[in-house]
Amino acid sequence: MNNADLSLTELPVTPLDANYEPWLFQSMIDELATNELGIGFIYTVLEHLAKRYDLTDAVVVLEHDVLTTQEFRLAGAAVNADHAGRLAAAPGVYCEPDIVPPIELDAVRTACQLALSLHMARFTSATDALTSISNRRTFDTALSNSAVRSARYGWAFTVVLIDLKDFKVVNDRSGHDVGDRLLRHFGLALRQSVRQGDLAARVGGDEFAVILNNAEGHEAMGFVERLRENVLRAGESIEFTTGTATSPRDSTDPAELMRIADARLYAKRGIIHR
Amino acid sequence: MISPTEEDFELELRALPGVVNVGFRYSEKGDVDAVALVAHGDHTGIVRVQAKQIIALYYPDATVSVEEMKPVAAPSRGAAGDAGRVVLVRAEFNSHEGFCEVHLNVNGRVAVGRSENGPLIGGAEATLDALRQLDFDIPFYLVGSVNVATVRGWPVIVTLRPRANEADRHGIAQADTELISSAKATLNALNRYLSQLDNFG
Repeated sequence: MNNADLSLTELPVTPLDANYEPWLFQSMIDELATNELGIGFIYTVLEHLAKRYDLTDAVVVLEHDVLTTQEFRLAGAAVNADHAGRLAAAPGVYCEPDIVPPIELDAVRTACQLALSLHMARFTSATDALTSISNRRTFDTALSNSAVRSARYGWAFTVVLIDLKDFKVVNDRSGHDVGDRLLRHFGLALRQSVRQGDLAARVGGDEFAVILNNAEGHEAMGFVERLRENVLRAGESIEFTTGTATSPRDSTDPAELMRIADARLYAKRGIIHR
Repeated sequence: MISPTEEDFELELRALPGVVNVGFRYSEKGDVDAVALVAHGDHTGIVRVQAKQIIALYYPDATVSVEEMKPVAAPSRGAAGDAGRVVLVRAEFNSHEGFCEVHLNVNGRVAVGRSENGPLIGGAEATLDALRQLDFDIPFYLVGSVNVATVRGWPVIVTLRPRANEADRHGIAQADTELISSAKATLNALNRYLSQLDNFG
């Protein structure tokens, strides 16, 4: 091969924009890593970009395995449909006016993609996908933390275990779709029934658990009543049984609290629990 | 920065099937009083129901709207239509050497157009030079580039004349410098030409 065979066009090298600061991207990554930031960071980056270049609008379009296409617009505005239609096909950063250097747009897009992926990973690792309430892992951690505080400071909290009655029958007779819908509605009813600061979790197939902070017996009764009302309001006729244990009165050991609540639940159902 | 709870709230809405974007409007007290979602058309019904349930948990008084995302628009036709968007990366006047440089980017390809004229004419010439380096067929030549005084500043008007016997094309833009205005006005003239092709083609 000689030089005459080469048909490559040599592209001119574009110098970095005078305003581009190489630490910008690294500082974004550092902040994401150290502060465990989520999608709010995407808006912060867009605001930074808008201020830096005096932009009137900026949109970042990202792709995610689970969420598919996601758009984030400056100031948290929903993209209007016509604009969204065009943008949805192409991940990237879109600015008005179109004056931001590509190298900086790439840095912004990468940082935003990272923020979305990190947040989604944290969210899915802590949340039950079907019911959108906390999962077993989150519940165990929260229970352990509450028990430590209760042992140290005497702060009361109550664990409520909830078991759906005959859920297996519903699943077998009506199919998993109906069973899943029931679980989703029950999860929603749980979220409607807990107070701010409490934690509701799905800890098994049809088993749920709630931590009611700063609550003892009568407050737990109030919660169960609210739950029954919200389940009925959701149009579900499923029955459920509850068992409770209160710290520090019953115990300050997480495993012991769970055992006591479990025993009371099965005692209510009249079943000998082995 | 929004709070972690609000971030989770937004992420939960975004995780609903078909949701592409979520927007919030805040009351004077700082509470969310309206939530707007953009979702793919075949999902808007179920999104509306599920979003209302989730939003009611956090902000019971907030209104909820779900906007259907329109189909993807067809790409523009014409010289630059299918080749992607032309991005003006930078435009500067080298006062030592006495020339203008305009950097354009299309799909990662970068071209630097140059002109030895001043910012007003040179901005337009350098823009056309960069476009031709990017293999665009530009069926125009530059007739003039002028700035005009208005109550809002000094926008630049660029006039391009077609090689065929057609009417002149004009573009107008106003930016921080005369050079950037001239470059953007040139692109504006070409965009208006392309949009007319779309409308009448």
